[in-house]
Amino acid sequence: MRVPYEWLKEFLGDALPPLERTVDLLDGLGLAVETVHSLPGAPRGVVVVDILEAEAIAGSDHLLRTVVTDGVRSTEVVCGAANAVAGARTALARPGAELPGAHHEQGDAGRHQGADPVVVTERTIHGVLSHGMLASPRELGLFEHGAGIITFARDTPLGADLAELWPAEEVIELELTPNRGDAFSMLGVARDLAAKLGAPLRDPTHGADLGDPSSDDGLTLEVADAGACPRLTLRGLAGVQVGPSPVWLQRRLAALGLRPRNNVVDVTNYVTFELGQPSHAYDRRALTNGVLQVRRAVEGEQVTLLNEEQITLHDEDLVIATPDGAGGSRAIGLAGVMGGLHDSVAADTDAIAIEVAHFDPRVVRRSARRHKLVTDAHVRFERGVDPNLPRRASARVASLVQAVAGGLVAAGTSETGADVAALSVRFRPSRVAFLTDMQVPEPEQRSYLEGLGCAVAELGEDAWEVTVPSWRFDLGIEEDLIEEVARMHGYEHIGDTVPAMHFVPPAHDPTHRALRAMLAALGHQETMNYVFTGDAELARAEAPAASVRLSEPQGIERAVLRTSLVPGLLATAAENHAATSLALFEVGRVFGETEQERVGLLWRGPWIDGRWRPGQAIDFFIVKGVLEALASLHGVELRCDAAELPGLHPGVGARVWWDGGEVGTLGRLHPEVAARYGLSETYVAELAIPLATHRIRFEEIQRQPFAERDLAVLAPEAVTFAQLRSLVAGAAGGLLASLEPFDVYQGRQVTAGRRSIALRFRFRHPERALTDVEVDGYMRNVMSAVRDAGYDIRT
Amino acid sequence: MLDEALHDIAAADTLAALQDLRVRYLGKKGVLTQRLKGLGQLPQEERREAGRLVNLDKEKVERALDERRAALERAGMQAELERERVDVTLPGSGLAHGGLHLLTLVTNRLLDVFTSLGYEVVGGPELETDRYNFEALNFPPDHPARDAQDTFWTTDGRLLRTHTSPMQVRYMETHEPPFKIVVPGRVFRNEAVDATHEAQFHQLEALVVGERITMADLNGAIKEMAAAFFGEGTRTRLQPTFFPFVEPGAEFAIEWTHPRSGKLEWLELGGSGMVHPNVFKAVGYENVTGFAFGFGIERLALVPYGIPDIRAFYQGDVRVLQQFRGRL
Repeated sequence: MRVPYEWLKEFLGDALPPLERTVDLLDGLGLAVETVHSLPGAPRGVVVVDILEAEAIAGSDHLLRTVVTDGVRSTEVVCGAANAVAGARTALARPGAELPGAHHEQGDAGRHQGADPVVVTERTIHGVLSHGMLASPRELGLFEHGAGIITFARDTPLGADLAELWPAEEVIELELTPNRGDAFSMLGVARDLAAKLGAPLRDPTHGADLGDPSSDDGLTLEVADAGACPRLTLRGLAGVQVGPSPVWLQRRLAALGLRPRNNVVDVTNYVTFELGQPSHAYDRRALTNGVLQVRRAVEGEQVTLLNEEQITLHDEDLVIATPDGAGGSRAIGLAGVMGGLHDSVAADTDAIAIEVAHFDPRVVRRSARRHKLVTDAHVRFERGVDPNLPRRASARVASLVQAVAGGLVAAGTSETGADVAALSVRFRPSRVAFLTDMQVPEPEQRSYLEGLGCAVAELGEDAWEVTVPSWRFDLGIEEDLIEEVARMHGYEHIGDTVPAMHFVPPAHDPTHRALRAMLAALGHQETMNYVFTGDAELARAEAPAASVRLSEPQGIERAVLRTSLVPGLLATAAENHAATSLALFEVGRVFGETEQERVGLLWRGPWIDGRWRPGQAIDFFIVKGVLEALASLHGVELRCDAAELPGLHPGVGARVWWDGGEVGTLGRLHPEVAARYGLSETYVAELAIPLATHRIRFEEIQRQPFAERDLAVLAPEAVTFAQLRSLVAGAAGGLLASLEPFDVYQGRQVTAGRRSIALRFRFRHPERALTDVEVDGYMRNVMSAVRDAGYDIRT
Repeated sequence: MLDEALHDIAAADTLAALQDLRVRYLGKKGVLTQRLKGLGQLPQEERREAGRLVNLDKEKVERALDERRAALERAGMQAELERERVDVTLPGSGLAHGGLHLLTLVTNRLLDVFTSLGYEVVGGPELETDRYNFEALNFPPDHPARDAQDTFWTTDGRLLRTHTSPMQVRYMETHEPPFKIVVPGRVFRNEAVDATHEAQFHQLEALVVGERITMADLNGAIKEMAAAFFGEGTRTRLQPTFFPFVEPGAEFAIEWTHPRSGKLEWLELGGSGMVHPNVFKAVGYENVTGFAFGFGIERLALVPYGIPDIRAFYQGDVRVLQQFRGRL
């Protein structure tokens, strides 16, 4: 919302503080100021002239020789604009004038880009000496329109210096919150300021001629859906002269960022911004028998809008229509969004009918979204326009049109609906202090509320009835009024305290801080990937197919939610192909049947880069060791079971068991998958979190020495260590304290297809030293179990 | 004989050679041992004096052997130490060295602040329902306030949470006041991605509910956080604004010195306010008040570290990620 500072003065007079203070006030009121634009005025050396003659120059396809006058003397100017016709009042840039927007025919106006000004010179064009140039609004740097010369209403003083008529100005740009539909107008912004300043507000509709509904104006309203259009007014005006607007009006619209069109349309736009009430002027001729209808569209019905786009309507769209003369009805506008092209005001329009209505915000919002339209009317309707405003706004439009386009406003008016009853809210002034801790005296609270348009009735001690104005539908409960008082008083007066509270926060770790810290300390770099991915990305990593899809994704590679952290880690690894080695982890959520938190890990390249001496290549046992270290840090056991898993090497993959529960997978990336990412030998793991942590319990340290025995077992290579361990541990008896492999050998010294695993047994009795005889006995049991299983003892 | 022995001992340059000399002079058949044995053949009156002289020599030889041994051992150790000398200026082995993501570092620091202020840390799902993300937070259906939060809807009618605020509702549904919680988490907006906008980012949300929590408590909490994060005396500012789930609502900013321009300016951080009665109604709370505030974590990471593009956080370039080191 753009707020020209000078325009604000019309509402507040001398009570309006200087610009900088006004900006601070607006910020403090919650009407956040995004920026302040300094708009330049018209350049020097440009005067208001009339075109007396305009004729084509022989030998040129579009250039005209015009004769213009400033009221004192005439001069010849060459011009190429189609609207340079005899009788037009326009602007002549005299030789020497500097035009900021000249020669920037494409793109944004020169003034936005700080382009160098172009100096107008006398020059001969096609044999005609041109004494200056007739300039477009863009060339003058006034507003964005370069397709014709600027034109003015007849009341613009001939010969006047345009720079005097069109000075520079400051425009405050507000970023309004969606609840403040009432502030989407000059009147609304000014009202907040007036309430804050305690100053009177000048309402431009004050004293307007509202028209006589009982007087026949030849117009008929037919509202088929009063729920969607609770209020409709139509006011006739005959004998208008459609033409360019006066300078003041064009300047206001330009400051708002609008492009002036003609005096009738400009007035409706002006009032949209002035009061926040959109309106539309229809050519009286378009209304068959003077009938204006509001109804739902017929599915498939078409209408061409002012933006020259033909849209096909949906049966939920609300349209403005008129009888088609054949017993039917034809749409002439999309209600609350945009008027129709063919039925709006044209150059030859003589009589108009001004439609001002109130529409259901939801209906307007859905129509606009359905047809992807964003208009000044629709953004106001969807945020909420004062439902009781149409009659006064209609009167305001009519009187302004009459002022700038002539004609006569009809005495009568046609209307449907009635004013909405005002809402009353019970309000306790003491609650302001209760909730905000600010002490605001009651008279001050009352003055703020009244300044905002509320009516305050005191029912008793600390009991007010506040009647909310029809434009503030955001005010419905006591807290809303507390906010009004608080923002008027100023949030800067709010103190700072710390509440005394009996609350002992439970200590837990929902962000997995400990896990992240452990993994980082174990040498892994944390990464974060997107939860969005694509079907192809998941398939590429052989991850489970997506189960959650986005309905409006930002592209097919972001169309679904990840089912695994691995694809993202692989993409990251591929991205970092230049790194010597990688050890990455990510903590994040995956979305299968249910949402689950996981940690994903990836390793590639040497685990230890020896640099100038041998290092340690990465392999399965290194990464398993990392997970074992992690498990040890959690005080639990980790186990791996061989498994053939999608995306993993069939012989180097495992399900991971953590403290007895299955938590995920670990393995070497399948070489085919690795090749898709251009990766060398890569290992990945993915575990569900939170990972169990063992409860800490003190155990006495074992002080007895242990007895150690080594034994090498030759078994078929298909026999896993886990199987062998289970066999020998079972045979070794209850005093076996630990059992670890210390050598695994396959090669020339053992039979093909077999493998030797050397085991170190440690036995310990909790209370005494074991004798050799005892330990030898246990080992004999072990050896016989080994032989019984068909394995050999290697000696 | 003694001179010869001492000479030999001094000349011995290995422990083995020294051992040979010990055997030669002091062994069972050694020169001095033999001489002691030969004393018996001497006349009684000479035997005593001769014995004294031999023992004297023996002591001298023994001492010489011990001293030489110690010297050789010292030299041996010296030589071994010299052999073991390394060039400490050569680089160490390249061990994997990890680190936390910058967003984790910033989040951790914030959580440290809030836990020290007695807040409980809670987390929640990223895939949410309309009820938790909007409805229970007083966003009416078809309200433009929803437009401000461009939403990723799923084909089954759920959504990716647009803010961490759904956890307000989830927590209140399962807990009784009074409490102080803080919710860090990932959120999503269906916006065009550019240097300052990401489709996924992180927020931190605080919610405090009790018998009479005031806006001054809200202001106090923001000031405490600002002081802990940006330094004692950091100025903060509340200005009215609108969020459906608070009333009154406020946006908050902190005053800080921009690291690049060096100028003191306001940094708009986030939204805040007093919990809207409709939110309390949705969770069945009565006769309590509360405040909530929330802000984007990326902003707190981007600006102080001078990171030009928010997308850097999710691009996974280890050369970028590994710049943020220092603590876990």
